[in-house]
Amino acid sequence: MPLLETRGLTKRFGGLTAVNAVDISVEEGEIFAMIGPNGAGKTTMFNLIAGLYKPTRGTIKFKGKWVYPVQEFWSTYLPPLAGYYTIAGAVRRAVGAGPLPIGLRPHAVTQLGIARTFQNIRLFSYMTALENVMVGEHPRMHAQVWDALLKTPFARKEERQVRERAMEMLRFVGLERYAEQYARNLPYGFQRRLEIARALATQPTLLMLDEPAAGFNPQEKAQLMALIQEIRSRGITIFLIEHDMKVVMEISERIVVLDYGEKIAEGPPQKVRADPRVIEAYLGKSA
Amino acid sequence: MSKTIARRTNLLLAASRERKIPYLLLGIALILFPIVDSYTPHVDFVGDAGRWILLALGLNIVVGYAGLLDLGYAAFFAIGAYTFAILASPQFGIHISFWPLLLVAAFVAAFFGILLGAPTLRLRGDYLAIVTLGFGEIVPRVIRNAPKFTGGVNGIVGTDQPKIPAFLGFHGYSFGLNPVPYYYLMLVIIVISILLIRNLRNSRLGRAWMAVREDEVAASATGINTVTTKLLAFALGASFSGFAGSYYASKLFIVTPESFSFIVSVTVLLMVVLGGMGNIRGVIVGALVIYALQSYVLVQLPGWIASATQALNIGFLNNIDVASYVQQSSILIFGVILVVIMLLRPQGLIPSAQRKVELELGTSEESVSDLRGSA
Repeated sequence: MPLLETRGLTKRFGGLTAVNAVDISVEEGEIFAMIGPNGAGKTTMFNLIAGLYKPTRGTIKFKGKWVYPVQEFWSTYLPPLAGYYTIAGAVRRAVGAGPLPIGLRPHAVTQLGIARTFQNIRLFSYMTALENVMVGEHPRMHAQVWDALLKTPFARKEERQVRERAMEMLRFVGLERYAEQYARNLPYGFQRRLEIARALATQPTLLMLDEPAAGFNPQEKAQLMALIQEIRSRGITIFLIEHDMKVVMEISERIVVLDYGEKIAEGPPQKVRADPRVIEAYLGKSA
Repeated sequence: MSKTIARRTNLLLAASRERKIPYLLLGIALILFPIVDSYTPHVDFVGDAGRWILLALGLNIVVGYAGLLDLGYAAFFAIGAYTFAILASPQFGIHISFWPLLLVAAFVAAFFGILLGAPTLRLRGDYLAIVTLGFGEIVPRVIRNAPKFTGGVNGIVGTDQPKIPAFLGFHGYSFGLNPVPYYYLMLVIIVISILLIRNLRNSRLGRAWMAVREDEVAASATGINTVTTKLLAFALGASFSGFAGSYYASKLFIVTPESFSFIVSVTVLLMVVLGGMGNIRGVIVGALVIYALQSYVLVQLPGWIASATQALNIGFLNNIDVASYVQQSSILIFGVILVVIMLLRPQGLIPSAQRKVELELGTSEESVSDLRGSA
């Protein structure tokens, strides 16, 4: 059974089909890459999987559990209310079609074990590096409101443990010296690393990296590749979007190629590199 | 290595001890104040400042920590006050003791915080502000138009005063009209509130609030349930106004819908922003400054001007009544003072570390003018 599996995943924005019937399956423990020209729908795929967008059609399964569609009461009806109380929802109920399918909300997807970074770094700018990583620990903490209000011994203990774990994570990505710096004051490369540390703090099974090497020089790219290998050796599956062919060909074991929202090739790097459709997508049709 | 760490911790301990001394002195001064100055209107005046501090501290959770602009905070203050008034007055003949009602009012206000917060969850910034503004208008209107429960425009008269429970001694002393026990009550409530809010800020929940404030999408991708996080901000923020509401209702003997108008919401927001969003000390100072301006400086100003002109004894000034002009334009003067303060200290009187960095390095969200200015 694959770790992550999408079937016929489709997303339309008005008349534009950003992702069209894409099937991918990420196996446990591998480094899986998604490439494609600009606007091919790669980041849209990430956002669909992470629960930020609702698919137009198709299904997403992670560890054999449904990410989309789900019908669980809390995550389905209460907070988003979308689909159920709209006119379309009323029509559907009237004809017995049931409520519109709704996916897990982003935080629930993260709690299921999918962590991600963003193409344009999205850190909590006015929190320190350490606090950023500590936020990543949030879903695994158990302190309740009264614990927080009264600073119970349990809350103190948990807070201390989380601080230590977060410090450990900063050490892992090599940022322990910057623990007390505001995230916004860190240099670009460190911000990327910090985002990875924050994602890892949620203890994911699958780490999705959206163009982690963007804007890096060759040396930084080499460091990043080493870091990704090290994360994988901890038993975390990697799913990355990357433009840099050198990085992709070197570290990934399997590649899927998107073009205009459609999957045009899939397989090991050597095979994909030789695929005429891939060459066409990147370089244009030969005369 | 370990030596330097030990030295650092020693330095830190010494620093924290030193930093505590001013607070200790302030605490002693506040406790002694009613004893030294036995003129009760003064005590009354300072005690009332506490009510504003409490409101500002509560709103600071919503606006400063969670970053949700709330323009209808007075609604929760009203709900707290009316909860107390209905359960401890001749209105329904229910007379529950003040002490449990303090908590009941906080819980009811928190409940309404969730109720009014829920529909706004998908809104941000300006849109959120407009909806909360609407709630701030709805609540006093409902109170005005439900005379059966709330006494309508006339309000609820004859609310109960707190009594010290008999088992604690003092012969079950009732607070009555004496402002001194109210002063001490407010002092205790504020100290407890500050401790609770400080704990909140440094907790899992506090971090979640700040994460949602900084970047909601990233927060949800990090596993934070933004819905419950925001609702908890509304609920906990409102609960502090529940304390303030029951204090206010019992001290004044009466609650009327006029006491919870839009201007109250704006004043509290003003205290939070002017003092320094997200910083407890800043918010307290902001509350004190605005309160002192509104209820002391602007009230006394015409008198000061009158005596000053008399002392100067300049001919043409004696012929025109400067003091009455000043009195008529007191709101204008208030506005000018606010503008000047914000121009001089845009980050607030005592800004939180975050706001300080933000204003030193430019705003967090780049505006078009930022980008064009740098090009």
